Amino acid sequence: MQIMAEIPVLEMKNVRKSFGDLEVLKDISLSVMEGEVVSVLGPSGSGKSTLLRCATQLESMTSGELSYMGETDPKEIMKYYGMVFQNFNLFPHYSVLKNIIDAPVSTQKRDKNEVLSLARSLLKKLGLEGKEESYPCQLSGGQKQRVAIARALAMKPKLLFFDEPTSALDPELTAEILKVLLELAKEKMTMVIVTHEIDFARHVSDRVIFIDGGVIVEEGKPEDVIDHPSNERTQNFLKKLQRG
Amino acid sequence: MRAKRKRFMAFVVCAVILICSMCSTGTDAGAVEEKTTFIVGFDAEFPPYGYKDDNGEYVGFDLDLAQEVCNRRGWTLKKQPIDWDSKDMELSSNTIDCIWNGFTMTGKEDMYTWSDAYVDNSQVILVNKDSGIQKLSDLAGKVVVVQADSSALAAFTSEDATKENKALAESFSQLQEVADYNSAVMNLESGAVDAICMDIGVAKYQQGNHNGLVILEEKVSSEEYGIGFRKGNTLLRNQVQETLYEMVDDGTFAKIAEKYADYNLPDCICLTSKNKTDDSPQTDGSFSVVGKAPKTIQPDGDASSGSGQEDTTVTEKNSVSKSGGRVGTVIVQLLEGFGATLAIFFLTLLFALPLGLLIAFGRISRFSVIKWLMKIYISIMRGTPLMLQLLVVFFGPYYIFHVNLASFGPHYRFIAVIIGFSLNYAAYFAEIYRAGIENIPVGQREAAKLLGYSRSQTFCKIIFPQMVKRVMPPVTNEIITLVKDTSLAFVLAYTEMFTLAKQIAANLTNIMPLFVAGIFYYVFNYIVAFMMERVEKKLDYFE
Repeated sequence: MQIMAEIPVLEMKNVRKSFGDLEVLKDISLSVMEGEVVSVLGPSGSGKSTLLRCATQLESMTSGELSYMGETDPKEIMKYYGMVFQNFNLFPHYSVLKNIIDAPVSTQKRDKNEVLSLARSLLKKLGLEGKEESYPCQLSGGQKQRVAIARALAMKPKLLFFDEPTSALDPELTAEILKVLLELAKEKMTMVIVTHEIDFARHVSDRVIFIDGGVIVEEGKPEDVIDHPSNERTQNFLKKLQRG
Repeated sequence: MRAKRKRFMAFVVCAVILICSMCSTGTDAGAVEEKTTFIVGFDAEFPPYGYKDDNGEYVGFDLDLAQEVCNRRGWTLKKQPIDWDSKDMELSSNTIDCIWNGFTMTGKEDMYTWSDAYVDNSQVILVNKDSGIQKLSDLAGKVVVVQADSSALAAFTSEDATKENKALAESFSQLQEVADYNSAVMNLESGAVDAICMDIGVAKYQQGNHNGLVILEEKVSSEEYGIGFRKGNTLLRNQVQETLYEMVDDGTFAKIAEKYADYNLPDCICLTSKNKTDDSPQTDGSFSVVGKAPKTIQPDGDASSGSGQEDTTVTEKNSVSKSGGRVGTVIVQLLEGFGATLAIFFLTLLFALPLGLLIAFGRISRFSVIKWLMKIYISIMRGTPLMLQLLVVFFGPYYIFHVNLASFGPHYRFIAVIIGFSLNYAAYFAEIYRAGIENIPVGQREAAKLLGYSRSQTFCKIIFPQMVKRVMPPVTNEIITLVKDTSLAFVLAYTEMFTLAKQIAANLTNIMPLFVAGIFYYVFNYIVAFMMERVEKKLDYFE
């Protein structure tokens, strides 16, 4: 357990989200402390992606509260988080370097030289040296996702969301990305990861959340939730995954 | 196709005139301002009355007369080629002062303030020599062609047509309409039609240039030409007419007619000084109709030698005319019109490309009022003919707001063309842009949002560059269509290349100029397509 006095990086309280008559999130509460790595598991349609989209304000909540570092102003809190998408969403008309440095320079008004040297060190760290002037269409999927991670990190977020970051990739490329995530976890980057990689989740996470039907079914240490699930729905889900 | 378009045009013109009459007409009867410019409206494809000669000048019997009148009165003559279907709109909106162009009075007596008749012209039948058609009754079961909105058509189908002519028309297997005499003759020679009914002067001109054609002796009707002024504009009519009579008296009129002896014009003149009522030409209806009066106005000694000199110039003119058929001459002439085509093309793109973007913004706006306004705008612009839109832009200010078009300055015709084209093309571009914007994956916007880009930054930096790449192929299509659409400027009588080609073709009585114009369009479009391909290649660095 973290120290009680510490303010959580992310706090969601009683979040509900409906699309028309369909209630996708039913009263979800969640907090993430600094340096914590949280994996979100759950079957398709369980609401885990919607949870991420509400947390990043890509969707508005039907009701509930959202705060980062104790702040709630929707515009203000945007600076605290970044996101890595399943489909990378790199800007195809920008070079790798421009993809990384443009936002810090033009939206955060940071010094260009500072951002450039940060970008170069991130590229080096992610094994993308020499790709500065390449365009996204010239990269492999794994390389694209690493650029997307670098782009998100260059914004210096407090918390980084990953929305199924490996599900568009081949197994060998998946390993590349998982290695990067592990690296980030070691550096105490606060992360929330929606994933299907059970082994990875067990290995990297401080905490695992299992969502089904729009509610948190089970939550706890990975060895508890994954290896000794107490809930029947979690057990079924894990069994299916292992069989598949 | 052309005939259909013409018929449609006639419908549009009627509709606009109807609206005009409902809106009550402007005040032009009281226009007693001192005239300095005399604007004559004419169809530049109607030799010998008005046409473009081998040197690219507008000439003709009527224009020569008008020039002489202006010289004597100290006016400046402005020769304004018009689209014949729009002549009434041109006249009532003050863009021309009169219609002086082998203009048939029969059946239109009440529509204009007329000068006295000055040419007697009959409607005759032109056929192929070997067709076996010798008299009107032989036309039964044949295909006959006339110019749209022409006297020949009126002689067969108007309410005033004689019973005999109506019955004659009934006997045809078909009565077709074509846009101009040149295409009528092409139809006849190619065997697509059996006979043309046309004005005798034009028929003789065509016969002279095409060996295989003959004119039937039996005539369909006789008719007279006058100068048509705006209804009620008797002041100007009287001034012009007074000078015309002076010209008849001193022989100048006959001399000018002699210049066009090839077209049999001297035989058709019917304006004589005999019946001239001194100082009071106001008395309407005092037409001095002297039937066939071949050279009755023979001037005395000096003048006849003068006419002899004119004869030599006529011969010279003809020799020029033969050499004028060379492709090189035509190309040089068309280049002038090509400049006008390019001007329409580039100015339209200059305005329509950005305007389309604004409309596209409106179309995807969050404000539903703007969104719907733009939807309606696009729907109208895409759902109605560009030709109609051009007419509305040009004549609208007069018919809707009673603004005298002359007050918009001498370039209004061109400005209206550009406005019409820009408004129309902007609507098409807007839809292309919208599709381009909407097809960009939503993830691009989401990524931009999470990276803190503002809405305008997102558009300018992320969406717009990707949109440009996506819209290149459809935009290229539109641009190539625009090159050819420029020819629609004819409807506002703006002389771009294709209009010019038709005028030259009418003068040369062959279709070579149209082919040359076609080559111009093709070459230009080839260059456009090539350039666009280059741009597309440049954008190939991303997907």
